[in-house]
Amino acid sequence: MSRTYVIPLGAQHVSLLEPIRFLFTVENERIASVEADIGFVHRGIELACATKFKFKQVPYVVARVCGLCAVVHSTAYVTAVERLMKIETTRRTKWLRIVANELDRIQSHFIALGHTSECAGFEALFMACMKDRETALELTEAFTGNRMQFDYVNIGGVNRDLTPEMALLMKKKLSLLKNRVNDLQELFMSNWSLSLKYKGIGVVSLEDAQRFNATGPIARASGLATDLRVEADMLPYGDVGFELALETAGDIHSRNVVRLRELANSIRMIENILDGLPVGDIEVPVKGNPDGDAISHIEAPRGQCIYMVRGNMTSTLDRVKIQAPTFANIPVIVNAFVGEEYGNAPPILASFDPCLSCTAR
Amino acid sequence: MSRHSVRSPWLLHFNAGSCNGCDVEILACLAPKYDIERFGIVNTGNPIQADILLITGPITKRARERVVELYVQMPEPKVVIAVGACACTGGVFRGMYNVENGVDSFIPVDVYIPGCSAHPEQIIDGVVKSLGILAGKNKEMEFPTQLRGPVTIDRGQVDRRGLAGSVASLEKGCTNRGTEN
Ligand code: SF4
Repeated sequence: MSRTYVIPLGAQHVSLLEPIRFLFTVENERIASVEADIGFVHRGIELACATKFKFKQVPYVVARVCGLCAVVHSTAYVTAVERLMKIETTRRTKWLRIVANELDRIQSHFIALGHTSECAGFEALFMACMKDRETALELTEAFTGNRMQFDYVNIGGVNRDLTPEMALLMKKKLSLLKNRVNDLQELFMSNWSLSLKYKGIGVVSLEDAQRFNATGPIARASGLATDLRVEADMLPYGDVGFELALETAGDIHSRNVVRLRELANSIRMIENILDGLPVGDIEVPVKGNPDGDAISHIEAPRGQCIYMVRGNMTSTLDRVKIQAPTFANIPVIVNAFVGEEYGNAPPILASFDPCLSCTAR
Repeated sequence: MSRHSVRSPWLLHFNAGSCNGCDVEILACLAPKYDIERFGIVNTGNPIQADILLITGPITKRARERVVELYVQMPEPKVVIAVGACACTGGVFRGMYNVENGVDSFIPVDVYIPGCSAHPEQIIDGVVKSLGILAGKNKEMEFPTQLRGPVTIDRGQVDRRGLAGSVASLEKGCTNRGTEN
């Protein structure tokens, strides 16, 4: 005899970092269907970018779309505008932008890992992840001047140069962080109680990932080899030692493993950049106003982030369209819940690492 | 105000349309490096047990009723902290079509923490300051300052049924009948 219950999760809930509401229809502990409501943090940034702000201010406004991947949004926007205005930035600028983007990815992946372990009931691991994340944030603060929302990139260049002392400090801290990532990798791979909560749970099959067009670590954990860092040529990732992290199982465990491998790869890339940073200016002058439209693609920590910018020869843009990674991932998230036990819903949700302020803008 | 809840206040955090920057910094406060738990603070998800309400974000129109609802559910004495520039005034989002320009347009705020994003040290500073304010408060009821529709009291409690307000009261504009009994 089965009875169905409707259980709401959200808009405010301990296991949620951000307001999203799910309506689970539960049948004997199994989730039968899910509805998601994502609009709680909609602020209207796209319209404001095209009315209130000048195009040179917009990089700092779109950074406020999302605090966790702020620099990705700014980078995507400035690349689109630079394409419109035919600005060729220096090589040093591009490499410094990669450093900022990868530092951001490191801290974001640490949060995702910590949050999944917290939702699986492993509080100590959450604390360990947050502690290691602080190392990445210290580096970000030294490198850019702030911990979050560091507004590092602008149109035509970056706002701060990397001094040799900073590079030394970074190298020292990164080598510490590398050891910590290795330890975490071992823990996540071999801890038996974590595997109970993670292995075979929340599976996204390769077909589903393709059908729902999943992006980011979610797609890569299901064996779908997609990463804009190799597919698009916005930033020269090929020169700095990028490797694609691919897993095939598609469960929570493999999403964690993908994140851990990306962490290790990001650290290696930053080290390569520090070793061979090209000399040159960090800014080129910007003249005139943008005209026409351009698109740019950047791989955010959560998947692909696409910007469309349309200019009209004035200092205010016609349109800024933001397509954030979680928005593309919502269908696959909703689908992955069906058939799971309700008790597993928080860790599954955390493993997808949804970012609602990106989604709702 | 009893000494005990100042020594171990429980904290409720709500994201009312922020960019996550300040939320994550609050999370960083709970984590080892800044460790706000040394003040006896416990992070809770339940408004009925909370003493401190931390709000980030400029209050979007969807989050508005939820903020007031959470505030009303919290027992007195309680303090409200607005974390980040956008919770204080609307910040960079001020004037966008879906935001309400700051927490204090709906509920009374005791401590404002500026910065975009607010630094964890500032957040700790603000929370410690709010503990002093909490100690000075008594069990007198506090009310949201503005709602879509009047605040009514039903059997000693704020009546939550009309919180979201009807379309008619929306058209009449906001009424502020704070301490009416
Ligand atoms: S104050 Fe700045 S960092 Fe904090 S939530 Fe608002 S926009 Fe984000």
